Amino acid sequence: MAKNYIKYHKKSDVGPNQRLRRRTVMLILLILVAGFGAVISRLAYLQLVDGTYLQEKAVEQQLTDTTINAKRGTIYDTNGKILAQSASVWKVVLAPAYFKSEEQRVEVAKDLAKILDLDEKNVYEKTQQKSYYVVVKRKIESDTREEIIKLQDKIEEKYDLPNLVQLLDDYKRYYPYNDLASSVIGFTGSDDQGLEGVEYQYDSYLTGTPGRIITAQNANGTDMPFQYEQNVEAEEGNNIYLTIDETIQSICEKYMKQGLEDNAVKNRGVCIAMEVDTGAILACVTVGGYNLNDPYTLPEETQKKIDALPEDKQDAATGEALSQMWRNKAISDTYYPGSVFKMVTASMALNEGLVDDNTSFSCSGSMRVADARPMHCHQTSGHGVQNFTQAICNSCNPAFIQIGQLVGAEKYWQYYQAFGFSQRTGIDLPGESEDLFFSQDGSMSIVDLAVASFGQGIAVTPIQMITACSTVANGGYLVQPYVVRQIVSSEGNVIQNTESKIKRQVISKEVSDKMNEILEYNTSSGGANNGYIAGYRVAGKTGTSEKLTSSEGSEDYISSFCGYAPADNPKIAMLVFFDTPKGEFYYGSKVSSPVFINIMSEVLPYLQVQAEYNDDEREYVDTVAGAYVGLTVSEAEQKAQEAGFTVTIKGDGEKVTSQIPGVSAKIPNGGNVVLYTDDSSDSETVTVPDLVGYSISDVNAIASNSGVNASISNAGSSDVVSVSQDIEPGTQVKPGTVVTVKFATSQTLND
Amino acid sequence: MTSYQEMFLKADINRIYDEKYRENQRAKVQNNFVRSGNKKIKNNRKKGWFVRGMGIDLPFCLIILVLLIIGMIMMFSASYPVAYYTRNDSYYYLKRQLIFAVIGVAVMLGISFFNYNKLHKIAPFVLGVSYVALVAVLLLPAINGVHRWIGIGTFGIQASEITKFAIVLFFAHWGSKYYNKMEFAKYSILPGVVIFGSTAILLVLEPHYSCTAIVFMLTALMLYISGMKMKYIAIGGAAIVVVVLILWITGGLTYAMTRMDGWGQALIYTDEQMWQDTWQTRNSLYAIGSGGLWGLGLGQSRQKYLYLPEPQNDFVFAIVCEELGLIGAVIILLIFALLVWRGITLSLRAKDKFGKLLGIGLTAQIGLQVILNILVITDWMPNTGISLPFFSYGGSSLIMILAQMGLVLSISRTANIEKQ
Repeated sequence: MAKNYIKYHKKSDVGPNQRLRRRTVMLILLILVAGFGAVISRLAYLQLVDGTYLQEKAVEQQLTDTTINAKRGTIYDTNGKILAQSASVWKVVLAPAYFKSEEQRVEVAKDLAKILDLDEKNVYEKTQQKSYYVVVKRKIESDTREEIIKLQDKIEEKYDLPNLVQLLDDYKRYYPYNDLASSVIGFTGSDDQGLEGVEYQYDSYLTGTPGRIITAQNANGTDMPFQYEQNVEAEEGNNIYLTIDETIQSICEKYMKQGLEDNAVKNRGVCIAMEVDTGAILACVTVGGYNLNDPYTLPEETQKKIDALPEDKQDAATGEALSQMWRNKAISDTYYPGSVFKMVTASMALNEGLVDDNTSFSCSGSMRVADARPMHCHQTSGHGVQNFTQAICNSCNPAFIQIGQLVGAEKYWQYYQAFGFSQRTGIDLPGESEDLFFSQDGSMSIVDLAVASFGQGIAVTPIQMITACSTVANGGYLVQPYVVRQIVSSEGNVIQNTESKIKRQVISKEVSDKMNEILEYNTSSGGANNGYIAGYRVAGKTGTSEKLTSSEGSEDYISSFCGYAPADNPKIAMLVFFDTPKGEFYYGSKVSSPVFINIMSEVLPYLQVQAEYNDDEREYVDTVAGAYVGLTVSEAEQKAQEAGFTVTIKGDGEKVTSQIPGVSAKIPNGGNVVLYTDDSSDSETVTVPDLVGYSISDVNAIASNSGVNASISNAGSSDVVSVSQDIEPGTQVKPGTVVTVKFATSQTLND
Repeated sequence: MTSYQEMFLKADINRIYDEKYRENQRAKVQNNFVRSGNKKIKNNRKKGWFVRGMGIDLPFCLIILVLLIIGMIMMFSASYPVAYYTRNDSYYYLKRQLIFAVIGVAVMLGISFFNYNKLHKIAPFVLGVSYVALVAVLLLPAINGVHRWIGIGTFGIQASEITKFAIVLFFAHWGSKYYNKMEFAKYSILPGVVIFGSTAILLVLEPHYSCTAIVFMLTALMLYISGMKMKYIAIGGAAIVVVVLILWITGGLTYAMTRMDGWGQALIYTDEQMWQDTWQTRNSLYAIGSGGLWGLGLGQSRQKYLYLPEPQNDFVFAIVCEELGLIGAVIILLIFALLVWRGITLSLRAKDKFGKLLGIGLTAQIGLQVILNILVITDWMPNTGISLPFFSYGGSSLIMILAQMGLVLSISRTANIEKQ
């Protein structure tokens, strides 16, 4: 239209007024069509085509997404004692993008460094970043938090920077028992992620779901005054109940530590206690553990060695030492089980019906298989002719070579697999190793078979060994070992309940019963050397094996004891082993067996296994002192004598004011109770005599002569000698004090 | 039987047809009458309404007031967070702008009674005042690195506001005086080059490049409608391009350079400096894009929460786009377009050349500023400080614009609508 208009006027009248009109129309067209048209199309493009992208970018800068850490679940022992727990701490976060001047940066860096005990230079570098989220320090405690809040108030007042320093909720992991069960529990890293043990294995269960706070904020980082907030609550992680029993674990650790020191053990030790029917791990000790609250600190000795290294090698050495320290020896290391394995070989032969009570084996002290060099028995003079039970009790290698040859390589491999040795047990802990057999497919030479039959040449993990032992004990069932009993949500709902899993039956119930009988005989006949505990029916086997890595003729051994109780109805199996003992002895019978006895003597009563004494034993069983204080002298004397004690009265008073031993203290049958009637004779003391190296009757005589009571410990038969006493000779004690004397068989069993 | 019935039926149909026919005929006559009659009534009403009644062009005045009210609301919406955070008073800018608006409307209505012809003779003098103001700001201390403001107490005015008006006024005066001689270079290109050139030098010294651009466009526009030969416009444009290029190459445009470094790159910044430089433009684009078709709703802008610096000034329309969407933005632009169209067409009806040229120039200036402002906020032009008439905060420029609109209303009083 406009064009026509112009054309029309051009033709007819091009006077000055028409020129103005024409040009004005052009101007209107230029401004309104070209100008406004361009502007509107530009806006339309930005709002409709680019709109989504631009809006995203805008929202990205407007919304602040703050993550709220979720509380990590608690780890309990089987009875609900807390083994690992998270407590509130705080994370200091700086938003250096708000800084307005260099002077502010310097000052804030200085203050922060001072409060948080950090290097001022490092903090200053953080203030240079153009970010709203720079973590300055993690896991600060409430007192430091107070100071940070004060600092923030100051900054806000002085510089009007309300969100410069923020405190975000965080959690810190605490392990109330420090190094208890360290190799099982494991620890967490700086981001609360599990790094070892159960903490690692069950990380996804323990870690909660982090919450988020999404808020719309203005460019200064304060919330906008309109509603634009979305909160996603943090969900606490699940709690985990272990099968580990803190009491049993503590008992095991106590004696394992003692055994480690007594025997100058070079390369740590392992103790695993397993419920034979279920595979639940009651205790799992890698002795020489580490403090879970401080997992990056090496033992002093190791640290010194590392410090002595050239600087460039220190980091690598530290890493190596740490991973060694964290390593769960019970599942990650392999060893030759040695004679302990004989219980497995014997079970194979029995289950196949290849041997019975009447089968005889002869031992001349050594034996040659094929062209190999002769293999020696630990008793170089030989055991002569033995039946099957004797062969086990003697731990006779030539006899077992013969049993092994009876089984044959093929059957041996089948049973080896059946007992769970050829594969990982699948315990719910990280870092389980595979065992090492002679070959992948199970083929082996006749010599290999000979060696394998007494537990050399096959490297297995301790967890595999204890599982196989449980199989022997529990009627022949291979169970799946596990450490987590139950997973419970923070609200208390059960998420997962571990059912004990039987993989297969390996040997018959009859064979299992027979093995229990034989191994019980082994302990009771062998006394303390073989794990005998008075009053309890213990089955077990010692083992002393050459170390996997040891070269020809080297002197490194692993001393182990694997046993279970009660033998008539096995409940708990336990493997004790020490890697490279360098003390007086290296035999399992001398190193591991006493530890096993100590642990079991405390664990079995705890598990409410009733002690049943035979007549021999009863003679040495302690009775409990009654309460005599407050009674008249005559009444007390009568009461004590009725209980079978002899009575010594000190003082001239009419009533008993104190007594030794105290109420409920254990004293031997026929022991001496000293009753005090006044304070005058309170200070009277007697000297503890030397009670080591005597027979039971001698010990009793010497003790009563000296005015003390001797409590006899671990005397299975009369053929024993006292080996230790719990109070040093020469110590001044009150009359009647109980001295515990330990006994051991005088015959030697070097295995 | 049948035949009777048929007969009745036929008669009935015929009667209906007859009635319809008569009705149609009646309607046709009526329509013709109404159409011709309406034309007369319409013209009469126009006269009565616009000239005799109020004496001014009421639609134009209403458009101005509508824009002023919308602009006030949007400026308030855009400014209240920044007012709250920096002035601790959400109404800080609104209160001030309201006072200026009241003064401005009073001035506008007052000036509408003023005989614009009195400006005809003093136009060269006003141009002189403009030069004095431009030189004066150069002698005054710089604010934010530029010499733009002349302060009178707490009230300041940009020298360029005077200049823009003076240029339009002078060329209206010149164009009307030598309307028939505009084809000669002596009367068109010569004063154009001299006046624009001298003004431009002073503006570049401030520096105020966006105003230089507007002054150039206004000069060209005024000379064009006055009847300057097209080839001079083309030559002048080419000359400006050459001068700018030379300045660019020799580094004379340092200020604009820093502004232009980020031009068109608000979203593809590559380094820290560019990120900082394009902050305002980028956040303007975020705001515009966030609006989409329908907008986030009045008052619902998020970008005004300190992300978009000074949302009450040049970038107020970005917030408009965010809150009212493309729909709202286009409606506002259409109202501006209506203003431009009405202003120019009513100016054309002025009874003298001076009035025509002045009215067209002053109205076109509004249109140019709207276009340039939106090109800036959409990153199609360097961010150089062009306010949006009636919307951007700023007392002196608002009063100045309303005063200029008062002049257009004054021109409308003489406009003869009949004389189309």
